[in-house]
Amino acid sequence: MTDKTSAALKADQMFINFGPQHPSTHGVLRIALTVEGEVVVKAAPDVGYLHRGMEKLFEARTYSQALILTDRLDYISAMHNNLAYCLAVERLAGVQVPLRAEYLRVLTAELNRIASHLVFFGTFAVDMGAFTPFLYAFREREMILDLFEMLCGGRLLYSYVRVGGVSADLPAGWTEKCREFIAFFKPRLKDYDTLLSTNPIFKSRTDGVGLISAAQALSWGLSGPNLRASGPDYDVRKAEPYCVYDKLNFKVPVARTGSCWDRYYCRMLEMGQSAEIALQCLDALAAPELAPEIMTKGVPKMLKPAAGQAYAHVEASRGDLGFYAVSDGSLSPYRMHVRGPSFLNVAILQEILTGCKIADVVAILGSLDIVLGEVDR
Amino acid sequence: MKNYLSFVAEAFVNTLKGLWVTLKVMFLPTITVQYPTEKMVPYPRFRGMLAYDAEACIACGMCVRACPSKCIALAKAAPAPVPAAVEGQPPAPAVRSGPKIEWYTIDYGRCNFCGLCEESCPTKPVKALWHSLDYEAVFSTREEMTRRWKRGDTLWGTARGSADGQFAPVADQIHIQDVPVRK
Repeated sequence: MTDKTSAALKADQMFINFGPQHPSTHGVLRIALTVEGEVVVKAAPDVGYLHRGMEKLFEARTYSQALILTDRLDYISAMHNNLAYCLAVERLAGVQVPLRAEYLRVLTAELNRIASHLVFFGTFAVDMGAFTPFLYAFREREMILDLFEMLCGGRLLYSYVRVGGVSADLPAGWTEKCREFIAFFKPRLKDYDTLLSTNPIFKSRTDGVGLISAAQALSWGLSGPNLRASGPDYDVRKAEPYCVYDKLNFKVPVARTGSCWDRYYCRMLEMGQSAEIALQCLDALAAPELAPEIMTKGVPKMLKPAAGQAYAHVEASRGDLGFYAVSDGSLSPYRMHVRGPSFLNVAILQEILTGCKIADVVAILGSLDIVLGEVDR
Repeated sequence: MKNYLSFVAEAFVNTLKGLWVTLKVMFLPTITVQYPTEKMVPYPRFRGMLAYDAEACIACGMCVRACPSKCIALAKAAPAPVPAAVEGQPPAPAVRSGPKIEWYTIDYGRCNFCGLCEESCPTKPVKALWHSLDYEAVFSTREEMTRRWKRGDTLWGTARGSADGQFAPVADQIHIQDVPVRK
């Protein structure tokens, strides 16, 4: 018996390990909970079970080889990781990217955002005891994975965005398939609202639960839908447009109260916006005046940027994902730091779980939508 | 009590609404593929198990250098013997019979299926190393994970495309686009 458990027993409290094998932790996250009856008095998220030393692995690979490591950070939305890494390396090496590749990057990133939010939608519903939405979410996600398989050969780990462009152009028939998917997907969002968003049982479990104030969200460094659900309207796509986001017309959904339901619904609205962005990208790609180049000429496989440093960040599915690259002029990065949004999002648990009911722990954790591959790196 | 009852009524009505959504889906075509009696053929760009053609390989080692996880190893064949010089004639060029490579291994335990080796392979018109459409990779021991080609072995996948010998028989397989709803 550790000191912690014995102290908990004396105070009529109980020490509970939530995870690391609990199905609701979406991976190997352990939360050390101290509960008094039904109420959580102390919560300490314990991360590191999936630590692979990613940032160190970057230093042992060339710039083009290191790309495949980024797939394995946030494996649910690997396209954003590829993109953020390539933007950082391109800034480091001073590489310009053709316009067509920029549109392809945005198109795939937004489709990946839909796929990622669908996983959130499905698993969050399962956490709340609704199984049907999970099946529907994965049916739609499968179509996006098919599109990605057709485009780049990977279903989960794409390695599609490359330094200087993208690896492949759209194959024949892809555009039509993508338009079909979006036409199929948009009405489904209404089905999801009927199934889950407006369901009073679901709402009573999530609305008003796990409140995060705007000040709390900012001070803990939240980003993405978790931040916007609390009020601050910060989206990297709007604040610091990268690729071609400044040419696209879209809205960023913002909620006010910062409850679990707000975080959930922000993501649902974002899926609709992502579908709109994807349509705009498809229109732009179909334009005949767009040059067919998808890769900048003269970017070597063995990239050797001059000594220096560069930071680039993108709005990934889970928030503000940044790569900080330092080069010493050699073939591999001297240092590569990853600012993973999930890692910062999971930290706030120790504050907001305190005082909530034990049944709400699952709801709050699920609503933050963390991926342990990115938390532990 | 009144609040409670109205909540129960509201939840009941909303459950029926949800059931209506699921009822509509019941009349859509099924998307389940009955693996293994039905097998799907992936799209042509799919990165499956690596196939290797020793006839085309020039043993340049580009794939070894491109691999991020160092899963490929190879050894060049010994140089071809120069024919004995004949009096009064210019020296004849060395004639090679058979592949330019001695052995070639891929450790699937390390492979990332990223496709960088295939991209870096310089042989033309066909690549010596490419991702086939085979996704049925099962190994029962770690030793099996290392696939080894050596002189005298039959080549991996001398035929090209989805019917490259590692993925047979293709006749009774359905293409991914033939699955309803995935069209």
